[in-house]
Formats: sequence, structure tokens, C-alpha cells
Amino acid sequence: MRPDFWPALRSPIPWALLALAATMPFLLPNYYLHILTITLVYAALASAWNIVGGIAGQISLAHSLFVGAGAMLASALLVKLGINMWLGMVIAAAASAAMGAAVSFIDYRFRLGHLSFALITMAFAEMAEIYVTNTEFLGGASGLFLPKDKGDLLAFQFGGISGVYWIMLGMAALCVVVNFAILSSPLGYNLRSIRDNENAAQAIGVGLLRNKTLAMTISAVLTSIVGTIYARYLAFVDPYLLVSPVLTIEIVLFATVGGLGTALGPAVGAILLAPLGEILRGHLGGFLPGLHYFVYGLVVVGVILLMPAGVWPSIRARFTRKNAQEAKAS
Amino acid sequence: MINRRTFTTGVSAAALGTVASPFVRRAGAADATIKVGVINSMSGSYAAYAQEGDPAFRYIIDKVNKEGGVKSMGGAKIELIFADDTSQPARCATEVRRLVTEEKVDMLTGTILSSQMLAISPVLDELQTPCLSVWAGGSRSNWLYTLGYDYDRGYAKTMADFAIWLRDKNGFSIKTWSPCYSNYEAGQQVNKHLLKRMGAAGFKTLEEAPLDTKAQDQTAAMIRLRSAKPDLALGLVTPRDGLLLHQARYNLNYHGSIFAGGTGGYSDLSLWRDLSPDIAKAVLTRNLFAMTGFSPSAKMPSMQAIVTELRDQAKLQRIGQAAIQSAQAARVLQRAIEAAGSRDKKALLDGFKKVDIKFGDPDLYVAKPHGVKFADDRLLEDGSAFFVQWMEDKTQQVLTPEQFANAKPRPRS
Repeated sequence: MRPDFWPALRSPIPWALLALAATMPFLLPNYYLHILTITLVYAALASAWNIVGGIAGQISLAHSLFVGAGAMLASALLVKLGINMWLGMVIAAAASAAMGAAVSFIDYRFRLGHLSFALITMAFAEMAEIYVTNTEFLGGASGLFLPKDKGDLLAFQFGGISGVYWIMLGMAALCVVVNFAILSSPLGYNLRSIRDNENAAQAIGVGLLRNKTLAMTISAVLTSIVGTIYARYLAFVDPYLLVSPVLTIEIVLFATVGGLGTALGPAVGAILLAPLGEILRGHLGGFLPGLHYFVYGLVVVGVILLMPAGVWPSIRARFTRKNAQEAKAS
Repeated sequence: MINRRTFTTGVSAAALGTVASPFVRRAGAADATIKVGVINSMSGSYAAYAQEGDPAFRYIIDKVNKEGGVKSMGGAKIELIFADDTSQPARCATEVRRLVTEEKVDMLTGTILSSQMLAISPVLDELQTPCLSVWAGGSRSNWLYTLGYDYDRGYAKTMADFAIWLRDKNGFSIKTWSPCYSNYEAGQQVNKHLLKRMGAAGFKTLEEAPLDTKAQDQTAAMIRLRSAKPDLALGLVTPRDGLLLHQARYNLNYHGSIFAGGTGGYSDLSLWRDLSPDIAKAVLTRNLFAMTGFSPSAKMPSMQAIVTELRDQAKLQRIGQAAIQSAQAARVLQRAIEAAGSRDKKALLDGFKKVDIKFGDPDLYVAKPHGVKFADDRLLEDGSAFFVQWMEDKTQQVLTPEQFANAKPRPRS
């Protein structure tokens, strides 16, 4: 582990921010708390995807497969077989890990290039959607309807929006910390070397299969767990939302805008764009259909043009430059 | 001149303004209004329903307000607050939250198809706000009523009864059938009930031909039907899938089966424009029967009157099933509010139970021989719809229910 990992974790700033975020259910009205909860879902998903897509440079478009496994499989196990959703979450996460490992193996076995890997994973995502919408056990095209959330924690019920918000806050924080830990560990160095030059990495002894599989498995497990919690929150588990490749595109967009390959960037991207999209639609959607999409698109294009490396790296670079100038001046 | 700093400041200010809006106090609404949140799918894959229905809905509510508002509330006006869920169920649930908690609406309505109904049900239960869906095929919340056709007693029963009617009353030789339906949530559900009803009626089920809703061409499904050659192909088909199915049928010149089903994929007037008149004439007027909730040629004065009014007074360009269904929703909403006589949400919910628009009432716009009245499951008691056949001049002849009929079914050719 890099020496700055533990001091960074012990720093009071992230803990203070986390504590402040935890007070939001007491401060925000229902609608805005809902938007913040959705934002945390996307922050967690984008951070989990970043392990594979950002740090390892494998542009996976199959992550809706893992969200879907977490959401649909855990829900189906509960609704159809009466299996406790905590156990369902573990089973779904294990299934996601296995699928993630299989995807990595295919990538390694056939030495897929970046574009081929992206296309193959997209095909997996499409197949997953078709499979789920035609499988009765998983709810088919109609999806699944979960029992009412009565706040029974043992039954994977969190007592409504505030409970889910706190759980998602913890989950999003965990995903960011995992990113930070990977970036600070030998695994992170290996993944970055694979991202920058796969052949050179292999030549210096970096195990491609082992490292790629490890990254994909960690990412798939985290994604699947977020999927299960998100399904519990929505109560109606909709395959066209949770197994849709469009979901992956959104995750990739947030991670890219926030800053690929950085620990905080994907979460920052989600925190900026997810609420913006929701609030714009809420305020403009009833005024002129499609206007919110237009404004949202303009903002995304504007941010990408102004900060091509991503929002978080740009902010960090500006602070670093400023500090350096101040040090030089003094 | 706008430089990068000015642009960044402007974008930041706009974003801050939007994000800060929850903390900005809103001006209180006047007591003499009742606020209704309208969640329509104005963009996305279901937009066709909302874009046609929205003007008719607005017109009727506007008319109610001009004619003195809600009488039982001393002439209170109905104020509409619109939202677009972009045809996505989860966003529909988000809009319910926003309208109820931020806009403080008293009740909700909107296109709200079945998947959206499922998504908003837990939120309606949580926020305890009454809602009227124009299209949902069921209700999973005590707070939600719907004008949509029930999958079984609405769609499946109407279709199966029509098949039986063709066979038993009109001498059509129908022994076998193939399910041919849009392979999405509602299509699958209706098919499940159809399989039971058609089996019970003695029809032999052959190979299924589900229509891939993402496909750009339905030739594969039509080839399956051609090889199975059922006497009847039956199911729920969306307008887009219907268009592709009829195109494939024309290309393969297949007329070995009778095609029947609903709703938009068989009965929408846009089929004539999208298929082109020659293709439409070849396939729509031969061995094809369409289920619909509305037909301008039906023997129903109140339906014909609203069509004339929407065309001549409201100047609407598109008056199809969605426009009539939405106009009906506006009248149901008005009756429920009148019955409630207050803005109390429980009273408004009870208002739906008291809605009873009888056959012959000028406010009855949809084809319901038993009128518009909700059953205990919060769907309409009368789930029936028309079956029609197309004529070469793009008009329709109504075949069933018999009290609205103006023609006999065209023989198989």
C-alpha cells in the first residue's frame, strides 16, 4: 500500500464530509433526498466501473449485466423462492463475480483489443436484457414487485428513503475507498501498466489474466451489491431500467466527465450530472418536451470542452498549480 | 464578449440556481384552485400516446374551468401542472415525488402505462395521493385508479370473445390460432390470459410468433406464421410492431391466416400513412380485424359529438384513441373532484369510487355499453372494446359490440 493511503483515510476532511452528508435526510425535502439517493447509486456504480474502465482501461459495457444480476436475481429469489434478500444479495454478487471472471477470461484468451472488448461486453449486456425479459423466473418483461418496505433490517428493508440513503452513502463511500486502495496498491500499479501498454506490462511480468480478473471481479461484486440495494429502494424491479445497456452508458458518461482512473472523479461526475439531469427534467420537462435533454447535453459538452481530462483532475491540477505558485512566491 | 471565465460563471450560476431551488420559498396557491399533477410521457418510446392525448385533456379541463369550475367547491378552478417522465418508469416515480412534495398537488393523472403504474405504486402508497392513470392495465396501489384495459377482462376477453363470435355466429372456420404479440410487458401478460381463454374455447394453439420490439423488420415472425399457417393470428401489437408486421405480410404476400388484435398495431389511422395507401389497402382490408377503444364510425352519439368538438372547436389535428381516452380521463377527473367536494386526498380518492358515467351520458366518450364505473380492483367494470374492420377509404366499420355495430365481418379471402 502506498504510504499516503492510511494518512489520507485518517484525515478529518473526508469524515467531516461524510458526517455532513449523513445529515441530509434531516435537512432536505423528500424529492431532493430522493435525487440525492439516486445520485449516490450512480456515484457508487461509476466508482465501481472505474476499477475496470478507468484504472485498468478496459472499457466494459457489460456492467448492466452485474446491476441486473444484483437487482433481478436477488429480487427473484425473494419473490419466487422466499429466499432472504441478504442471502440473495450474496448469491447475486457471487454470480456477478463468476460472470465478470468469465468476461475477463474471454478477453485474455482471445487478446481482445479495447474496441473489441467494448463491443463484446456490449453484446453480453444486450443478451442479458433479452434473457431477463424473456425469463419468467426473473420477472420477464413485466419485472418484479417487491414486498412493502416495513423497516425490517433482517429482511433487507431499510425503512424508506432515509434508511436507503444512509446505506447508499456508505456504499458509495466504500466504492470510492476501494478505488483509492487499489490505486495505492500493487494491483493499481499493475492495472495502470496494463492500461498504458498491455504488451509491455506482460513483458515485465505483470500477470494479465490474474490482474484483469481481479479488477473485474471486484467491480462486478460492488456493482451487483449496489444493484440489489437499488432494487430494494425502487420496489418495482424494472428490467428495462436495471438490465438496460443504457444504464452502462450513463455510468461511463459520469465516470468520464468526473475523471477516469482517479479515485474521486467518477463520484464527482455522478454528483454533478445525476442531479442536474433529474432537476432539469423536473423543471423543464413539463414546459417543452425534450428541452431538458438539450440543456443537459449542452452542459455535458461544455464541461468536456472546458475540462477534457475530467472535472476532478482539472480541479486538482488547478489547486496543485496554485499551491506551487504560492510556495514559489513565498 | 463571452470569455471562458464568464461562461463558467454563467453555467455555475444556472446550475446553482437549479440546485438551490428547494430552498426557495414558493408562493402559496390560491385556495380556489385544485392542483392536479399531470405526468405524461411526452418524450421517449411512449410519446405517441401522450402527444395525441395531451391537447384533448387540456381542452376538456379548460372547458370545465370556463364553464364555472368545480361546482361542489364553489367554482374552484382545476390547475394543471405538467411533467414529462420520458417514458421511463423510474422517472415517473421521481415525478410523482416532485409533484406531490414540491408542487403540492392534490391529485395526479397522466398517460401512466402499466410499467409506470408498477413503479409509482409504492410512492403513491407512501405519499397517499390519489392518481388516475389513462392507460395502465392494472392497479397495485389503493391510491391508483385506471381507465386502461385490464389484461384479462379487457384485452384477452375482448379478443377471445371476438374469435368465438367469428367462429360461432359468423361461420368462420377457425380451429387453430397462433399468438402473435409485441414481446414486451403488456404483450406477454395479455398473451398469458389469451392462451387460457382460447384453450378453454376449444381453439388449438400452434407455434407462437412474438414480435421483437427492437427489431427493424418482422419478416422472421411472418415466416413463422406462414409455416404454422394458423386460421387466426391474435395478440396485442404496438403501432410500431404492427407497421413492421403488415409490411412483412405484404412483402411475403401472405393471406393464409386471419389477423386480429389490438390496439394501435391494428387500428391506428397512422398505419395508412406509414405503410403507404397501396400497401395499407392490400393488407389492412383483407383478413384483418382490429381491436380499439374508439372508432369514429361507431353508433354512439356522444363519441361522435366529442370527435366533432375536438376537431371544430379545439382544432385538433390528430383525433384517435389516445385523444378520446384522455378526454374521457378529464371528465372522470372532473366527476371525482365534484363528488369529493374538497381538496382532501382521502375524499378525492373516494370521489373515484362515486364516478358513474352511464351509457347515453354526453360525457361518455369511450365504447362502454355499461358506462364508466370503477370496480373494486380500481379498474373499469366494463372492460369491453370495439372490433372493427378497415375499408378502402380508410374508414372503419364497427363489428362488435353489437349495439355499436354498423356492419357484418368481411368474409375470409
